[in-house]
Amino acid sequence: MSVPLPLWIDWKLAGMRMRRESALRFVALLLLSFLFLVLLLSGGTNRYLSGQWTITALLRSGVSDEEGEGLARKIVALPSALGAAYRSPQQAWEEFSAQVPGLELLRSGGGNPLPGYVEITLRHDRLSEAGMEEVLAALRPLPQVERLLSGGEAMPRLFRWKRIANGVLWGGFGFLVLLFFVGFVLQERARAAALASDFAFLRERGTPGGRIAAGRAAGAALAAFLLTLAAGGLAAASLHLLSGRFRAVRLGVGSPEDAAEPAYLLPVALFLLAPAALAAAASFIGWRASDGSPPE
Amino acid sequence: MIEAFHLRAAERGVTLFSDLTLSFDEGEVWIVTGPPSSGKSLLLRILAGDRKPDSGDVLADGESLYGGSPGARSRFRQLSAFVPEALPADGRTVGDLFRLSALSAGKIPREERTRREEQLLGLLGVAGTREVLLRHLSVSERTRVALAAELFRGPKVLFLDTVLANAGKDWADSLTGLFRALAREGRTIVMLERDMPERLKVMVGPETWGDPEADTDPRIREAGPFLLFRLSHGDRKAPAGDPPDEPPGETPDESPRADGTASERPPEAGEEGEP
Repeated sequence: MSVPLPLWIDWKLAGMRMRRESALRFVALLLLSFLFLVLLLSGGTNRYLSGQWTITALLRSGVSDEEGEGLARKIVALPSALGAAYRSPQQAWEEFSAQVPGLELLRSGGGNPLPGYVEITLRHDRLSEAGMEEVLAALRPLPQVERLLSGGEAMPRLFRWKRIANGVLWGGFGFLVLLFFVGFVLQERARAAALASDFAFLRERGTPGGRIAAGRAAGAALAAFLLTLAAGGLAAASLHLLSGRFRAVRLGVGSPEDAAEPAYLLPVALFLLAPAALAAAASFIGWRASDGSPPE
Repeated sequence: MIEAFHLRAAERGVTLFSDLTLSFDEGEVWIVTGPPSSGKSLLLRILAGDRKPDSGDVLADGESLYGGSPGARSRFRQLSAFVPEALPADGRTVGDLFRLSALSAGKIPREERTRREEQLLGLLGVAGTREVLLRHLSVSERTRVALAAELFRGPKVLFLDTVLANAGKDWADSLTGLFRALAREGRTIVMLERDMPERLKVMVGPETWGDPEADTDPRIREAGPFLLFRLSHGDRKAPAGDPPDEPPGETPDESPRADGTASERPPEAGEEGEP
């Protein structure tokens, strides 16, 4: 007599309790999914900082607009560069005079004193010393470039604080994951203890304890995976709505559609599978802790 | 066939029995009696594959339960039923018990499950108790419910601990008849009782029961501290010339079946097994 692996045994024995626990897990996974998406897409503080900070390549006088635009196109092809915008000397003057009005007299003396420049923004996931150095190293040898402005001595400090802030944010996320995992274990333990007599009944009738434990863990993993899919979908939809409505969210976090980019596929896949693995582990730990193991 | 060889069991350092050799064939109903604290329940657990003996082994259809592959015991326990002396009177309902039984039996369609459940509960006089908490049932009802839940799985072997005594006088005769009917289907039934029920003593004959010369009766066997009485060996397995145990006038068509698939009529007291 072959008995299939009892995947949904807890649902059959304690359906109402399982529905309650699953609802709580869904809320927890929704919160985790939302935070994960925000952290993944924003890179912590990276996306915000990459929007605030640029490298400026001041061009020599006499560099034509064609040369300046060609230079910008070359720079934007660098892996670390998100964008490169050429500003002609005339545009540079207009920007300057808009910020500091009443300086037209300077120009009346003869010509535009400002050079043209290329403003380069870095990809938020490359916002680091290495990413910045890659762009600077490409610009330094160019004869059209007179000077590079990249934040100077302030940058190492900025990067250090950025790393600390990102570490704190991801650490907080990890702490939440741990907290929810402990919650899962306590749920599993309490349920395994409540159902211990039922499991003993099944063991006495030939269902090996290991089979019950394996079936429960597999069922918990499958349920957690489905819950994560649903929670992740809802979190992405919420973020989509928020980024559409609030510019700050769009600038600081980005759009959830970006999560489909190849660079994010692995972390997203890992996130979808991790709750299943954690739920299975929680199920096993709960089973052992409640002394649900076979008496042999 | 269940064979036990040279069983020895001890509890708290006291040897309860040793060198016990027994065998129970298909289609036989046995009642095992013995003095208090002689290890009757322990013997039943050992035979059922629930507790390893301190020495010796149990073979079920030639397969060792304690010395062979670990799966042998699981397989045997799937095919056998065990009704304990006291079913825990916890917060479970009768329906919960059947749900558990169905889980251990594998996949049974819901309609089939409900049908068999109702038939078995009706057969054992506890119809309509599906939603009743076990703790709200009497000892007799709980015993019959436990038996019904075990019969639900259609076991080949039944180990029953003090079922007749717990079911009460009113049901002892009906249950005896039921067990004999089950034996005719080829099932093996081993019952533990504190004492031989009076009516069965009458059946054996008062002059035989308790007579030191009784070992000449093939139905009575002595093994260690236990006295075993073979109530039935079933028509199917009866060798030629062996006198039938069943009373005359018994009609097999009316007999209930283990999985509740035949007669819905509960056996009446005295219908079977009464000479």
